[in-house]
Amino acid sequence: MAEQRAVLVGARVASGAALQEAPSPLVALIGPPNSGKTTLFNQLTGLRQKVANYPGVTVEKKVGTVALPDGGELDLVDLPGVHGFSARTLDERVTRDVLEGRVEGIRAPDALVLIVDSTRLESQLMLVEPVLELDLPTLLVLNMCDELEQRGGRVDDSHLAERLGVKVARTSARSGAGVDLVREFLATEVAVAEPPGPVQPRTLSNIPRGVALPMVDAFKQRRARVSEVVAGAGFRSPDPSGFSERLDHVFLHRIWGPLVFLAVVVLVFESIFTWAVPIMDGVELVVGASGNWLTATLPDTWFRSLLVDGVWAGVGSVVIFLPQILVLFLFLGVLEDSGYMARAAVIADRMMYRVGLQGRAFLPLLSGYACAVPAILAARTVEDERDRLATIFVTPFMTCSARLPVYALLIAAFIPDEPLLGPILGKRAAMLLGLYGLGIVAAIGTAFLLKRTLLKAEPTAFLMELPPYRVPTLRSLGLRLVDRSGVFLKRVGKVIFTVSIVLWTLTQFPRTELGPPPIDDSALASIGHLIEPVIAPLGFDWKIGVGLVTSLAAREVIVGTLGTIYGVEAAGDESFELQDALTDALTPASAIGLLIFFAFALQCMSTVAVMRRETAGWKWPALQFMYMLLLAYAGAFIAVRVF
Amino acid sequence: MQLPTASTNASEQEFVELRLAQVPLRQTVELVRIDLPPEQAEPLLERGVLPGCRICPVRSSPSGDPIISIDGSLLAFRKETAACLCVRLITQFRDAG
Repeated sequence: MAEQRAVLVGARVASGAALQEAPSPLVALIGPPNSGKTTLFNQLTGLRQKVANYPGVTVEKKVGTVALPDGGELDLVDLPGVHGFSARTLDERVTRDVLEGRVEGIRAPDALVLIVDSTRLESQLMLVEPVLELDLPTLLVLNMCDELEQRGGRVDDSHLAERLGVKVARTSARSGAGVDLVREFLATEVAVAEPPGPVQPRTLSNIPRGVALPMVDAFKQRRARVSEVVAGAGFRSPDPSGFSERLDHVFLHRIWGPLVFLAVVVLVFESIFTWAVPIMDGVELVVGASGNWLTATLPDTWFRSLLVDGVWAGVGSVVIFLPQILVLFLFLGVLEDSGYMARAAVIADRMMYRVGLQGRAFLPLLSGYACAVPAILAARTVEDERDRLATIFVTPFMTCSARLPVYALLIAAFIPDEPLLGPILGKRAAMLLGLYGLGIVAAIGTAFLLKRTLLKAEPTAFLMELPPYRVPTLRSLGLRLVDRSGVFLKRVGKVIFTVSIVLWTLTQFPRTELGPPPIDDSALASIGHLIEPVIAPLGFDWKIGVGLVTSLAAREVIVGTLGTIYGVEAAGDESFELQDALTDALTPASAIGLLIFFAFALQCMSTVAVMRRETAGWKWPALQFMYMLLLAYAGAFIAVRVF
Repeated sequence: MQLPTASTNASEQEFVELRLAQVPLRQTVELVRIDLPPEQAEPLLERGVLPGCRICPVRSSPSGDPIISIDGSLLAFRKETAACLCVRLITQFRDAG
């Protein structure tokens, strides 16, 4: 293998012209979870990265461009962290498929960078053997070398390189030390290599090829080889981290542990609903002011109406949520990067286990309070497929931030601002809390039901690695936020943009001599009347019906829709207030029915789309959509009769 | 309880097998066998929990589930899993060797 690599290196130095014609080489970055893989990826690519989805595959891949010391470039793909290639989890399947070159839209990698946490070299190097079987130029990155040495460990990297037949670089990706060595490898070993010929079929698995061994024996043999190499390289494992032990003593304490856990959850909520609000108000002001400026600047044409009433109102209503989502992701980022999230999962596991889920579901469900889309993606770390399905099935019951504007509008219009429990709890706050509780109850009930019917299985093992505590770096948190806000704006913005334009257009036809028709005669009204019989038992009229239809795209769209419909109806009335219009249109019972409808229904195209990708088919999203719709309809139906 | 003999040649049957769930905190033991179906054992194997390896329960989670130290990492799992891990005590003699 070593000779082959030498040939590759010395093959030829491609001319600049040839480099420009051929696609730049693709390098895959792989490693176990918590090995610092993403930190290294960020160090190498900076902001030159994009999250892409390829059609028909369940992959959210991060591909970045690395600038090489000699001025060249190559592409780097950040693969999910894995412990092996059993393809038991979605992450493992994705990693294996990309490495084997079987993912549509991405070519097979030309070289590999395998990163491991050098403080626990032995178990981490279990990945080396299957990766070396791929026969590609490989760099082994021993990350966290500074920590290894600080804690009294050591390893001889040149010996390791010799024994494994690969280049080895010592790094500390957090501080950036040694990252230049990785660039140098990419420049000398990959960028100048012969353009790859036809890709040989590759296979990756935990069990060596052509060996019919029981799995345990295969692992034991590999482990024996790894131990020999590691011992030969003079590896001395570091002393336990006293800092981490002291923190665990509190965070996993029988009494303090759950209390800290509770405090963290409360803090996350507080941050979304209190701290983010001033920023959201600021964004709202900017959106409103810029809309007014547009109205004042542009001539009064159909284009201004489309831009201001359609696009600005629609897209603006979503951009307002960005601060909330960023604050949530900042918190989740701190929790994850610091190592606390793993402890939270351990504490939550027993609770989750009782309702049929597991500790790893805690992170996705918590993320679900911001947005179900990233939450469903986060559920990939749930190893057991049935557990993962159950988790993503109930995630949309978590009260996402898109429900908030709907709740806020209806509660302000129908629930009086009166105290319920003295000064502590008002009626409005109680209603909001009740709706959050309703979502949790529905999620628990559904998970319980699923695990006893469709997803019935033996209880599965829960396994959680607890990484040492680390102080999160600003760089990593910043990149995370940039990344997430980009995904959010792209995914949701596109939908809202389209819906706003379609909706606006439907209110403009059929044209009358005076221009747009009265709203009751518009094409939108005709569509609204079609669904009226279905929603009449809930006490909703066609306008609410249109709102329900448009909110299928995204929940918060109903606010903009009702604003448009009632606004067009009240055209010219300066004192128009959406709240007053709603008080006239709905009875209080119907309003509560509408709230409950929103608590349960899956009105979110992005969620349906991501469910389809993550379950590789329409079966689960269809079932989820129908189930939640039925629950929503039944809930609203009962509420209208009870209240 | 009969403690394992110091003889390294002794076959595994001569040792008293314990379940990991029975091992007190801070007592390092050697894993003998994983009594789990392959698909449930594989995640353990991938993380280095292999027959022959040394593990040490270092802490209990608030709900009483074990947290073990292995190869310098901490691994948490449920007590139901711990009940399926067969281990044996390591004597001072073996430890020294």
